[in-house]
Amino acid sequence: MKDTTPPPAIITLDDVHKYYGDYHALRGISAEIRQGEFFSLLGPSGCGKTTLLRAIAGFEDISSGHIQLNGRNMEGVPPNKRPTNMVFQSYAIFPHLSVAQNVAFGLRRTSMSGDEKKRAVAEALEMVGLKDYGRRAAHALSGGQRQRVALARALILKPKVLLLDEPLSALDKKMREQMQVELIKLQREVGITFILVTHDQEEALVMSDRIAVMFEGEIAQLDDPELLYRRPNSRRVAEFIGMMNFLPADVISVSDGRAEVEVAGLGRAELDAAQCPGGAIVGAARIGLRPESLTILFEGQSPEGGRSAEGVVEEVVYYGDMTYYDVLIDGAPNKVSVSMRNMPGRRVLERGAPAHLAWDPRAMVLFS
Amino acid sequence: MGESHSGLRRALRSEAGKGLTIVSPPLVYSLLLLAAPLATIVLLSFWTQQFLTIDRTFTFANYEEALSDPLYRELMFRSLRISGMVTLVTVVTAFPIAYFISFRVAPNRKSLWLFLITIPFWTSYLIRVFLWRVILAYDGPVNGTLLGLGIIDEPLGFILYNANAVVVTLAHAFAPFAILPIFVSLERIDRSLLEAARDLGESHAMTFFRVTLPLAMPGVLAAALIVFIPTVGDYVTPRLVGGSGGTMIANMIYAQIFDLNNRPMGATLAVLAMGTVAVISIGLILLTRLWTGPKR
Amino acid sequence: MRGGGLKVYAILYLAFLYAPIVLLPLFAFNDGTVIAFPLQGFTLEWFAALLDTPALHEATLNSLIIAVSVAILATSLGLFAARAATRYKFPGKPGILGFIMLPLVLPEVIVAISLLAVLMQLGLDSGLWTIILGHSLLCMPFSIAILQGSFANMDQSLEEAAIDLGETPLSTFRLVTFPLVLPGIIASLLICFTISLDEFIIAFFLSGNEPTLPVYLWGQLRFPARLPVVMALGTILVTLSVLLLVVAEFFRRRGLKRAGLEDTGGFL
Ligand SMILES: Nc1ncnc2c1ncn2[C@@H]1O[C@H](COP(=O)(O)OP(=O)(O)OP(=O)(O)O)[C@@H](O)[C@H]1O
Ligand SMILES: [Mg+2]
Repeated sequence: MKDTTPPPAIITLDDVHKYYGDYHALRGISAEIRQGEFFSLLGPSGCGKTTLLRAIAGFEDISSGHIQLNGRNMEGVPPNKRPTNMVFQSYAIFPHLSVAQNVAFGLRRTSMSGDEKKRAVAEALEMVGLKDYGRRAAHALSGGQRQRVALARALILKPKVLLLDEPLSALDKKMREQMQVELIKLQREVGITFILVTHDQEEALVMSDRIAVMFEGEIAQLDDPELLYRRPNSRRVAEFIGMMNFLPADVISVSDGRAEVEVAGLGRAELDAAQCPGGAIVGAARIGLRPESLTILFEGQSPEGGRSAEGVVEEVVYYGDMTYYDVLIDGAPNKVSVSMRNMPGRRVLERGAPAHLAWDPRAMVLFS
Repeated sequence: MGESHSGLRRALRSEAGKGLTIVSPPLVYSLLLLAAPLATIVLLSFWTQQFLTIDRTFTFANYEEALSDPLYRELMFRSLRISGMVTLVTVVTAFPIAYFISFRVAPNRKSLWLFLITIPFWTSYLIRVFLWRVILAYDGPVNGTLLGLGIIDEPLGFILYNANAVVVTLAHAFAPFAILPIFVSLERIDRSLLEAARDLGESHAMTFFRVTLPLAMPGVLAAALIVFIPTVGDYVTPRLVGGSGGTMIANMIYAQIFDLNNRPMGATLAVLAMGTVAVISIGLILLTRLWTGPKR
Repeated sequence: MRGGGLKVYAILYLAFLYAPIVLLPLFAFNDGTVIAFPLQGFTLEWFAALLDTPALHEATLNSLIIAVSVAILATSLGLFAARAATRYKFPGKPGILGFIMLPLVLPEVIVAISLLAVLMQLGLDSGLWTIILGHSLLCMPFSIAILQGSFANMDQSLEEAAIDLGETPLSTFRLVTFPLVLPGIIASLLICFTISLDEFIIAFFLSGNEPTLPVYLWGQLRFPARLPVVMALGTILVTLSVLLLVVAEFFRRRGLKRAGLEDTGGFL
C-alpha cells in the first residue's frame, strides 16, 4: 500500500474538444498532468496527439472545454504568454543564428544582464552536452545535436512544462536509444514536467511516469507503464501496447468482483477484480494473455501450481535471445504466441513438435 | 454591439480571416488596376466614337463592324494563326531541351543550364527583336552564311518582313516560358515509374510515349498557354519584322486608339481578342484533360 | 552514346537563344554606320555619342525612377500575397491568387489599353506614376513567384518556435521571418527592377511626353543613322541586365543555403 499522495496537477484538461471544420480531432479529453512527472501521449498516427500538445502550447484554439495551466485558465492566452516551451519535431533551429544565439533567443525579453545571459547559455549548453558548440553555425549540426540545442533553448527559460512532439523520431535507432536515456536523466535533473508525444509504445514505456493512450481523439487509458502493460482496459489498448493472445472464455460466476471463468483449451481459472478492468458479467468473454506469461515446459520441468495444457508447435520464429512459438492448444480455436528466453542447453523446438505448456491465471486479463 | 464587435474580432483572428487580411493589399491593388480597367474597356466597347466626342449610348455597333469588316476578321485570324504557329514551334523545340536538362544533365548542373536559358529573356526585348531584323535581313548573317556555303545563289528575300519572321522572333522571345513549365513537370515525374515501365517490358521509346509524355502533359499545356496567350497580343515583333503581311491585332488596336482616334473600336478589338483567346485556352485545357485524364 | 544527340541539339538551341545578344556588341563597336556585315573595324564613337544626347539622359532618369519605385511597390505587395499563399487557408484562395497572377499571361497590350482607357475616362494625364502603377501590376506576379519560394522553404515551426520562446508575432517577423526571406526580397527587387527597366508596351501607351528608355529607343529605331548608337546603348543595357541577374541569382542561392536546402532550379 502506497500512502504518498500524488503531487498536485500542473495541467488540468477538462472536456477538451477540437474541430477542424467538420473533423472532430479531439473528443472530450479530460486528464490531470502532475507537477514534475514525465507524461507521454501515445497513439497511432492521426489520433490527435499533436493537436492536443499544440492546444496546450496555445498554437491551436480549442473548440470547447478548458485547459488550466498552473492553476490559470489558458483561454485567450497566446503561446508567447504561456509558461510552456516546446521542442518541435523538426527542432526548428533558427538557421541564420549561431548555436548560442539560438539558445539565448528566448532570453531577449527577460531582465537578465548580458553576463547573466552568457552564463545561462553556457550552463544550458553544458547541461545538454554541447559545452563548446556555442559559436557553431546552427545549420551545420547533426540531428542529435540539433535536438540538444532545441532542448537547451527551451529549458533555459525554465518553463513549467516542456512539450516534446516526437522529438526522437528523426534520429536513427542507436541515437534514439541514447537520447531516451539522456532525456530521462535531464528531466529528473531539472524537475520540470515533460509531456512527450510519441507513436512508439516502447519509447513511451521506457521513458514515462504515466502514459495516456489515445485513439481517435479520445484517451483510452491513462496509467503508469506497468499497469498499462499488465492491465490494459480494452482489447485495443492491449493490442497497441506489446503483443497479447486472446482466447475465448466463459464467465461462469461473478461474486465480490471475483470471476470464475472457463478458458478454451486451458481450463478453469479464478480472476480477481483488478484482472477485470471492464467489469465481469456472466456469459461469453475473452481473456488476454501476454506471450511471456505462457511457458513451454521441457523434459523434467513441472508447472508450478500444476496448471498446464497440451498443444502442437505450428510456427517457430528465432530472434537470437528469444524464440517465439505459435502453438495450437488442444481444444482452443486459435493459435497463441509463446515467447521463450533462449538458454544454454535448451533446444529450440521444431514445427510439429508437441508442446507442454504451463500457464498462470494471475497473468490473465478479462475483456467482455 | 459588443457582441458583433467580438464576433468581428474572432473572424479576423481565425485563419481564414488572417489570410484574407494579409492578401487584401495585393488583391485591392489588382482589383483597382486590373479588374476595374478591364471592366472599363468592356464598357467602352459598347460606346461609339463621334468625331471628337464619345457617344455613351449602349450599342453593339462596334462589335457588328468588327465582326463583319473583312479587314478586322483577317487580322484576328492572322494573329491567331501566327500565335498558333509560334506556340507549336516553341513547344516542340523546347520540349527536347527541357527533357535534356531534366533527364541528362547532372543534378548539380541543372540550375546552371536553366540560368543560361533564362538570361537572354531578361535582356531588352526591343533590342532582341530588332536584332532579329538584322539577322534575317537581305544582307544579314543568315543569308551571308548560306551564300558563303554555296547553298543558295542569291539572298533569300522571304525570310524577313512576313509572318515567318514573326514566328521565328516570337519563338525566340518565348523560349524560356515554354521550357520552364515543361522542365518542372518532367522533374516531378518519379523516376521509379520509368524503371517500372522498363521492368514491365516496355522499350525506351514506348516508355517515353506511355509514361513520360502523358505525365509531362500538364507542363506542355501550361507552356502552350503561356506562349499562346501573350503572343496573340504582341505589338513590337509584327511592327519590326512582320512587314505588311505580318501585322497583327495589337497593331490595329494601337492604330485605332492613337492614329484613328477611335478608342471604342480599339476597346472592342481588345475585348474580342481577349474573349477569343480565353475561349481557345479553355478549349485547349478541356481537350488535354480529356486526353490525359484517367480513362473510365 | 545516349543523350549525345540531345546534347548537340541543346547546344544549337543555346546558340539560337544567344545569337542576337552576341551580335549586339559586334555592331556597337563596329566602325560603320550601317548595321550589316561585313564589319568595318573597332570604334568607341557610338558609346561617346551616348554621352551627349540629353534626351537619352532624361529617358534614363525616368526609367530609373520608375524601376526603383516599381521594385519597391511590387515587392511590398508581393510579400503580402506570398505570405498569404504559403501560410494561410482562406475561402476563394485559388481564385484570388490566380487573379493576382493573371498579368503574367495577359497580353501586355490589353493591360496597357485598359489602363489607358481608365485614365482617359477619368480625364487624368498619364505620367511616370501611371507607368509605375502599370509596371507594378506586371511585376507583382514575378515577385510573388520568387517570394513564395522563400516562404515555402522556411520551416513553419521556426516562427512558432519564436512565439513559443516569448516573442510577439511582430517581433517574430523582424527576428526570424525577415532575415530568412531577405535574400528572396533582394532577388525580387532586382528582378522587378530589371523587368520595369525593359518594359516597352505599357510605357509606350502610358508615357505621354515623358519617355522611358525603351520608348526612347523605339523612337530611335526609325532613324537608320542612329542605329549604331542604339546598339551601343543596347550593349550597356544587356550587360546591366545580366549583371543584375547574376546578383539576383546569387542572393536566391544564398537564401537556399541559409535555409539549409539543396538548390533545385532557377527562377520561376
Ligand atoms: N490544420 C488541420 N486542418 C485539418 N485537419 C487537421 C489539421 N491538423 C490536423 N488535422 C487532422 O486531425 C487529426 C489529428 O492530427 P494530429 O496531427 O493531432 O495527429 P497525430 O496524432 O499527431 O498523428 P501523427 O502521429 O501522424 O503525427 C488528423 O486526422 C489530421 O488529419
Ligand atoms: Mg503528430
